[in-house]
Amino acid sequence: MATEVLPDDEALRTARRRRALEAMEAQDIDVLVLGREANARYVTGAPRLWTAGTRPFGPSCVVVRATGAVHLVSSWDEGIPAEIPHEHLFGITWNPGNLLAWLRGIEGVADAKRVGTDSMTPRFAQLLPKVFASAELVDAEPALEAARQVKAPEEVAAIRVAIAVAEAALAEAVAAVRPGVSEQHLAGVFMGAMARHGVTTPATQRVARITPGPAPRRPGDGGTAGRDDLVAFDAGVVASGYSGEVGRTWPVDPSATGAPVLDLYRRVGDLWHRLLESCRPGAPWNGLLDAYAAAGEAVPASPVAWGLGLGFDLPVVTPELSATAAREQLVAGTVLAVTAEVTDELGRAVLRREAVLVTDGEPELLTAAPHWTT
Amino acid sequence: MPTVTVSAEPDLGRMQRDRLDRLHGVMGAQGVDTLVLLGNSNVSYATGARWPLSDPGRANVERPVAVLSIGDDRPHLFTTHPEVAQLDLGLPADHVHGPAYLEFDEGAAAFSRSLGDLVPATARIAVDELTGPMRRAQGVLFPGGDPVSADDVIGAAKIVKTPDELGFLRRALAITEQAIAPTQVALAPGLRQTELTGTFLRAAFDLGADANILDPIWQVMPARLAEGPWTTHGDIACPLLTTERELRTGDVLWVDTGISYAGFSSDFGRTWVVGTDPTPRQQAQFRAWRETMDGVLSVTRAGATGADLTRAALAVHGERRPWMDHFYLGHGLGIDSAEAPFIGTDLGDAYDERQVLAPGMVLVLEPLVWDDGASGYRAEEVVAITEDGWISLTDYPYDPYGD
Repeated sequence: MATEVLPDDEALRTARRRRALEAMEAQDIDVLVLGREANARYVTGAPRLWTAGTRPFGPSCVVVRATGAVHLVSSWDEGIPAEIPHEHLFGITWNPGNLLAWLRGIEGVADAKRVGTDSMTPRFAQLLPKVFASAELVDAEPALEAARQVKAPEEVAAIRVAIAVAEAALAEAVAAVRPGVSEQHLAGVFMGAMARHGVTTPATQRVARITPGPAPRRPGDGGTAGRDDLVAFDAGVVASGYSGEVGRTWPVDPSATGAPVLDLYRRVGDLWHRLLESCRPGAPWNGLLDAYAAAGEAVPASPVAWGLGLGFDLPVVTPELSATAAREQLVAGTVLAVTAEVTDELGRAVLRREAVLVTDGEPELLTAAPHWTT
Repeated sequence: MPTVTVSAEPDLGRMQRDRLDRLHGVMGAQGVDTLVLLGNSNVSYATGARWPLSDPGRANVERPVAVLSIGDDRPHLFTTHPEVAQLDLGLPADHVHGPAYLEFDEGAAAFSRSLGDLVPATARIAVDELTGPMRRAQGVLFPGGDPVSADDVIGAAKIVKTPDELGFLRRALAITEQAIAPTQVALAPGLRQTELTGTFLRAAFDLGADANILDPIWQVMPARLAEGPWTTHGDIACPLLTTERELRTGDVLWVDTGISYAGFSSDFGRTWVVGTDPTPRQQAQFRAWRETMDGVLSVTRAGATGADLTRAALAVHGERRPWMDHFYLGHGLGIDSAEAPFIGTDLGDAYDERQVLAPGMVLVLEPLVWDDGASGYRAEEVVAITEDGWISLTDYPYDPYGD
């Protein structure tokens, strides 16, 4: 991170914008109206304020295919790249009427026949046809997902930076593991370290999960680690918009680990190697689910894999989307967060999450955080 | 006369029962049979579910979904952790479901089957978001016709806070202030903005915060507007993002941050000076700000309109509106970090006239004083509206400003 607010690297943002315009071309979308921050960042390269959680859809960025122009809601030009001139910025507004007037005033909007949005609300489903009276409103997210999924080398580099910070902060949180420690304290140590390493935005905030504990329980209820417990870390940061994630599990008291815990680690290692073998271009997404079956392990509640990038990326692999997983194939250039998680009958869990770059050759591991071993 | 109280021992179960009563009341009044909620804060409001919020990207995929129907005294929750929902929220087994992946056609199809089992085909449904797959499946998902906006229902239900809600909100605000205290102590020349974030976040989690809700702001303000970034309106650029910039003696910092706790969002705003005392001119800014805030607070009570508050702010210091042009003089707080009522926005004076304060509403008031050449002063007060005035929900000093 720099000491001033800068737009994303020019090569990076140019490559991304070109991909977005190609996606518009392929889907015959004349105008994109984007509400999701990751999509706006993708096409503009402009950092805006990070907030946690889902955000309601509202137009905040517009791309016009005919002119290639990008328009953005921002009341200032700090961090705005040079190719977005002042007249393409629109100040923050609370007034839908002002927002519609902005949209109406954008060159190329009046002639649009197909307008893509990345989500919708009932309110904007009523309002946007007032601006795009003769246009068909379509879902642009699939086209954007396809554009975002395959990473330019500069994007892989950005993900590596995020992973490096996540791993450095994880190391400090791991060092704070001891009997009596709470999940909250470990999350705080992680966040503090993340910020000292220059990144102030987490990808996930349930950083530490102590198992088995008096399960099930919710985070933040004051539960503390016992000597026989394990701590599963879900460590992720968002740096320059890109998510870097890594998962590791450490025993609270290594001297207290017996054969059952060692067996969990052995199982997670076996599962991991099967998962990694599934990360090849052309392989179906559900190869990752099959790896769990082949290892004889139960599939965890959260997705087994998801794409890393700006926001969420394809694939998202989970049994709830098994038909999709059977149909879709992995693509070279995708970066996956792949999760191996095994549990025992006591409720102890060993989590291992790695970031994997799918390549035309061997899958490349982007994560390098140490694992606990005896 | 009913009085507004802030529960010292807020109770989650009672809070949720009150919320469901309100939601059902508003749904009845608006002719809505079923709410389908995707937004994190709306789901949290309707179900009481709490979880540490993720980055919006991951949050879009992992989000829990809530369904609440009129005539059902419990919400349904679709989540990756149904067993936690059952235990923590006391939901019956038939009201908890596996996750709904509404970013995918397959997920939307599965959800429409579930919804079809829960809701009659003729139901009038309100929803807060329509993902692309939901739009493609709209006829199946909403056979009773196009869904209406759930924001109108949630907005009407949540705008007045119950004693339990005020109790939890005050805890969220207290955690924030307790985490700010060591952060302010650490403030010194040579420190980086990111290090302030680190100190604040570490303390906030230790104190029980569930999550950080925005990238904390420690903006170094320019002495003159002309030295700041270009803006669309010629007004102040704020909030500008935190970097590894080193703080220097005399820097004026505008601080703005918030956390979530028990499903409540906090808000905190102050002005600090790095490594030295404010100059007499800067102290005068603070006094002017205090006068403005006192002027606004003097008219703040149930029955007052938003326009009464903006007029009071203008009456103190005249020609220039003493708040940020792209924001507001005040906003609601609680379930979201900025929610209705909004006062002093570009929705205009007529809108402000229609915003009538009611007992139990919460306002964050954030006037500022800009003094071109010597920067300016900005701070926030959080108050709960009462019949005859307001109750302060915060208790943090203005150091290094004031006596």
